[in-house]
Amino acid sequence: MNNAELWQAALGEIELSISKANFSTWFKNTTILSNENGKVVIGVPNGFAKEWLENKYNTYIFRALRNFRDDIREISCIIYSNEQAPAGATRKMDSVAQVADQQSSAENYQANTYVQQPLQGAMNPAAPNAAFENNINSRYTFENFIIGENNELARAACFAVSQNLGKIYNPLFIYGGVGLGKTHLLQSIGNEVLANDPSRRIKYITSERFANELIDSIRNQTVNDFKSAYQAIDLLIIDDVQFLAGKEKTQNEFFHIFNALYQINKQIVISSDRPPKAIATLEDRLRSRFEGGMIADIGKPDVETRIAILKTKSAENNFYMDEEAIRFIAENVKNNIRELEGALNRIIAACEFNKKLPTLKFVQQALAEIISSGKKKGIQSQHVIEAISQYFNISTRELIEKGRKKEIAYARHIAMYLMRSELNVSYPSIGSQFGGRDHTTALHAYEKINKELENDEKVREDVTILRERIYAV
Amino acid sequence: MKLTCTQENFKKAIYSTERVVGKQITLPILENILLETDNGMLKISATNLEIGVFLKIGAKIEEEGKITVPARLLSNFVNNIQNVGTVSLSVVDQTLHIESGSSKAQIKGLQATDFPIIPEMEGEFLFSLPAQEMKEAIPRLMICVSLDSTRPELTGLNFVLDKLEVRIAATDSFRLAESVVTLIKDNAQAYDLFMEKTTSIIVPLNTISEVFRVINPETQNIKIGIEESQIFFQIDNVRIVSRLINGKYPPYQQIIPETFATKVILSKEDALRAVKIAGIFTHSKAGEVKFSVNAEDKEVLVQSKAEEVGENKTNINAEIEGPSVEALFNPRYMADGLQAVSTSYLALLMNSGSSPAVLRMVQGEKKEEMLNYTYIIMPIKN
Repeated sequence: MNNAELWQAALGEIELSISKANFSTWFKNTTILSNENGKVVIGVPNGFAKEWLENKYNTYIFRALRNFRDDIREISCIIYSNEQAPAGATRKMDSVAQVADQQSSAENYQANTYVQQPLQGAMNPAAPNAAFENNINSRYTFENFIIGENNELARAACFAVSQNLGKIYNPLFIYGGVGLGKTHLLQSIGNEVLANDPSRRIKYITSERFANELIDSIRNQTVNDFKSAYQAIDLLIIDDVQFLAGKEKTQNEFFHIFNALYQINKQIVISSDRPPKAIATLEDRLRSRFEGGMIADIGKPDVETRIAILKTKSAENNFYMDEEAIRFIAENVKNNIRELEGALNRIIAACEFNKKLPTLKFVQQALAEIISSGKKKGIQSQHVIEAISQYFNISTRELIEKGRKKEIAYARHIAMYLMRSELNVSYPSIGSQFGGRDHTTALHAYEKINKELENDEKVREDVTILRERIYAV
Repeated sequence: MKLTCTQENFKKAIYSTERVVGKQITLPILENILLETDNGMLKISATNLEIGVFLKIGAKIEEEGKITVPARLLSNFVNNIQNVGTVSLSVVDQTLHIESGSSKAQIKGLQATDFPIIPEMEGEFLFSLPAQEMKEAIPRLMICVSLDSTRPELTGLNFVLDKLEVRIAATDSFRLAESVVTLIKDNAQAYDLFMEKTTSIIVPLNTISEVFRVINPETQNIKIGIEESQIFFQIDNVRIVSRLINGKYPPYQQIIPETFATKVILSKEDALRAVKIAGIFTHSKAGEVKFSVNAEDKEVLVQSKAEEVGENKTNINAEIEGPSVEALFNPRYMADGLQAVSTSYLALLMNSGSSPAVLRMVQGEKKEEMLNYTYIIMPIKN
């Protein structure tokens, strides 16, 4: 374990014992500069961090380091700068160079360079090759993943896995809605593992592609090659596993590969847009295996996290926006991070195009189309009912009257659901608009659809299309 | 905590510290200021983790203690209360009770132990700079500091330490300002020792503007100490701590020409007016104003032209030594330089249309150049 690895491992522990705000404030840009005879010198970016780590977090650091190296007796901090160090894979090399600068002793300098140089040489030629095979995109790393309350657990679990392949959480199952960062986390594991040990065999694949490869191999009668190729992997990452639902043969093959890897303690990481229980046509034996390891979810980011994301992204683009404008975007674009990025890109483009500064007013205008909710656009219950009757080909009269035919009842439920969720109409008012029904009827409809949305693909599709149609007015 | 202090001191202390407090999303306690009793005094601290500020004021202390409260709230309250002479503070259950005359307030606080520790100086102050000279110099320099974060070393002021003086410079690579300030050695031995290690430091812009704000007309000296890539300022009773910018400042001395062929003495007002007018007749960003120095007619012709707007010319009478010369400048940079001049006449020194031009202040009957401030501006080459 070299200094960088030791520090990464220690940070992983410290992160779990203090709040995320404190962690990111005080441990950002820190590194171990030297570790000799049980004396560890930690490089920190400024005097405040030095005081704080020495006085307040001393015991945490000490305990965390002792877990990995029990010969550590003393910890001290010095201020050093790595501002110039670019993020990403080269970072570790750079910090080593910094260490070399700091330590004037020629011996140390040589020791470091000799150890590091062959490693660097081995890494570079291998890198493009490996990237082609393992599908890992070096853009996604833990460093540029923004931590919030919603993804804290998932991130910590992924990081822990990357430090300790196959030993702690196996399999690791990550789920969460679209655009919340599942793929980023999954790819980060791959990148982190590669950065620590480039010789590891890693495979990142979407379940869709997995199925396609399997079909190809069946057609070319190379199923055995396919299996043995997968069984030789150290870390298998399967993204969007919910697409395996309903594909029996693929599930079967996957099951065998999964078992083979699991038995020899190889790490498996899986992501999906819902928990294993909610994937309808997943075979029970797969489901129980998914549930056997660690399950972590990624929720929607809270407003603080969204602000942090916007700030980071705009800084990446060298784009300055004032606090008010950022807050406005964060408060109005809520659902996922991709939308958030989209909104930011839209503003950057609009600013460049109109040669204007991103003031609050300008931002409001630029985003008016994206974020206007139904109420603002003057959409009323009538629009919803009309859209439903068109979509299901049921007359509005039928929709409102007392008929209990299955199709009509379903359409009616969706109508009630949309009026509630999009226009925020009160339950009694919904009831009265549907031929004087009781408010509990509306309540029941809302809850029923809400529940089905989670499990039923068809319902989800209908609601999404209808929502688009309503807003297309 | 229980104490009483004068309203004037308390108000001034809050005013001096509250400004470094920034909007912090990650760590809410940074929006607070820390009040604590310290050896019979009240110590007030604030920080944004780049800059830390603290000061002590006299107080009658009945009970020791400390608390942090939101800075904006406290300062808004203190600024609006009636002036009656004294303020009493007390802490009960994480709440600060303030009483002054007829006003009482209770401000909910956070635990003081979570407040960042502001680094203390271990050694002694190395040197001092005269406060009033600095008060004059800082705004003249700040106009040139680069805001481009891709070159962090240009986002601060460069202090070059010498035996008798300190040269302070700022540049955004289009123009450069340099002031020379007298040095007062507090601790000659330590200073000489420090100079052996390094003679050039870069202080962030925000830190300097904070220092500038704290200087008041009665301030005599600014004490400065440097340790472990941090700088400490002591201005009256206020202590400011900041990180230094790491990096190598460009060796700007090389670009200042040693001799100038043409020297033009101009009235500041005339020149500034001419440049401002010329600025109107240029494209918004890529504007250029042409200075034609005519040695025979003893005048300077300032002109500009924009295809779609129109053009203008202004003649300024001037004293000219040396040959005629022409050069193009960015009107905004030229106006900045002229505005920094505080004397009624100034010297414009030029060699040719492609080498840097220099502005200096002049004084006295003979209009002698003053060497304590130099503004260098790169001409636009055709």
